Amino acid sequence: MKIYYVSVLILLFAIITGCNASKKEAILCAGATTVLPVVSNAAEQFKLTHQDVNIMVNAGGSGVGINLLGEQNIQIGMISRNITQKEIEKYPDVHFVTHPIGKDAVVPVISSEIYDAGIMALTIEQIAKIYKGEIKNWKEVGGPDKEILAVDKEMSRGTRHVFMKIVLGNEEAAAPGADLVLGSNNEEQTAIAQSDAAIGMLSNAWINGDVKGLSIILANGEVVEPTLENIINGKFPITRNLLLITNGEPQGEIKEFIDFIKSPGGQKIVEQAGYVSLYQ
Amino acid sequence: MSAYISKVGKGYIIISTLISMIIILLILGVLFLSSYDAIHGGGWRLFTLTWNPPNNQFGILPMLYGSLVVTVISLVIAVPLGIFTAIFTSEILHPKYRIYVKSFLELLAGIPSIIYGLIGVAFFSVWVGELFHLQSGRTIFTAAVLLSIMILPTIITLCDDAIHHVPQKYREVAKGLGLYKHEVIITSVLPIAKTDIIGAVLLALGRALGETMAVMLVIGSIDKIPTPIYNLLAPGQTITSKLGREIAESAFSSIHFSAMVFMGMILLIIVLALTFIAQQFLKSGQRLYE
Repeated sequence: MKIYYVSVLILLFAIITGCNASKKEAILCAGATTVLPVVSNAAEQFKLTHQDVNIMVNAGGSGVGINLLGEQNIQIGMISRNITQKEIEKYPDVHFVTHPIGKDAVVPVISSEIYDAGIMALTIEQIAKIYKGEIKNWKEVGGPDKEILAVDKEMSRGTRHVFMKIVLGNEEAAAPGADLVLGSNNEEQTAIAQSDAAIGMLSNAWINGDVKGLSIILANGEVVEPTLENIINGKFPITRNLLLITNGEPQGEIKEFIDFIKSPGGQKIVEQAGYVSLYQ
Repeated sequence: MSAYISKVGKGYIIISTLISMIIILLILGVLFLSSYDAIHGGGWRLFTLTWNPPNNQFGILPMLYGSLVVTVISLVIAVPLGIFTAIFTSEILHPKYRIYVKSFLELLAGIPSIIYGLIGVAFFSVWVGELFHLQSGRTIFTAAVLLSIMILPTIITLCDDAIHHVPQKYREVAKGLGLYKHEVIITSVLPIAKTDIIGAVLLALGRALGETMAVMLVIGSIDKIPTPIYNLLAPGQTITSKLGREIAESAFSSIHFSAMVFMGMILLIIVLALTFIAQQFLKSGQRLYE
């Protein structure tokens, strides 16, 4: 009887370890929802030519990507902002190496109803006042008499870092005027489309008919539209690099995958997703 | 041989019990150890109003308020509805149809919470916004109503069992005394089923306190207690929605992470305390028919 139990145990053990041995090599990626469409499309194409490689792409936001890489749970982090000094200090064992794969702009966006009512451009200062809670009604900036629904994002999101650094001067500034705090680009886009008086922040590629991108009035009075052209020539004030990060210089299949995204074929995916490629 | 099997069976049962107990103790221990940094570094400052990790401010009161308010409101909505429906299915509805109605309700209880969340975000929160002329329908009230819908099937089906299990003789005696049907239900059936009904409510309360996904999507996720404090048509945050949104952002073993775990521990303590109180309460009210 005892032998029977022991042999069952051994069998179980063998099954568990056997499963591990037969597992396909997987590259795990996670992070910014801004970078996600590029990497997941690139992974699809990469797998066509490298059938023995399995690539898993997850969302979570830039902060999550950095933390997961810092804890060495993933091989590639996707981020849409720079790594902060604090984050580098948090993981002394990890040597973060960044790989730019494209460029993007963070655009202040508003509900189409407000856009159609005539608000097509604001100054950085006006946007800052909205997020500080000093401007609460659209009529204070020349729009209709409607209360502003200021949509904020989770603190560690890349889009928020880039946006708040320009608008409030500090990437982790609190926004006391915010009415909602949301996460991914999809969530933010949905909330602004559902409302008729919302303002938020989105990556340039996520603007559509219901969610309109605002032009920004510069200090000298010039109005800059959020067009690809203005992002390429650097006129639009809130731009950022889309980055992949690895722990140390990438090796083997991970390097091949990153090189593929940087290649002309991979950069086409970046352009198709609505971002600015490395060649533009 | 059969004595041997009996021994093995006994050993298996004891080991299973031990494993369950160890898991509970481990969870409590891990939660306490992981939140020690926050308790040690923050102390009473954990019970303040501002949550701002970059400034090392970890006030959990807004989340605590959100969790309690959302749960209480959802119970206030769902408990009376649930008990009345259970009275209908077990006392008034023809027994032939009871099983169909009941299996349908149990189907509802099995719907994954993310489905409720999606319906909440896509339709329900928009309706709430339009109904009350709000800027945004993502409010504490929305989350509470959504939760009450989610826990309703649990309450109905358990209360229905409780009422159904009251032996027929009590009804017959009450009827024999000349009571009307509603008097029979109020004076004899419900008091006898009381213990099990309270158990049903407790189970629903546990689910409401712990629900994450659906609440997270519709509550607005603002770490503020609304002004004035009873304004339920304002966005808020619960402990679970906060954990769901932020736990992956906080680095393991940072104070931020520790404070998040502390919130989880508070939630567990609330649930444990409620269970304990309810058990004490139930002891005095033993089932009459046993």
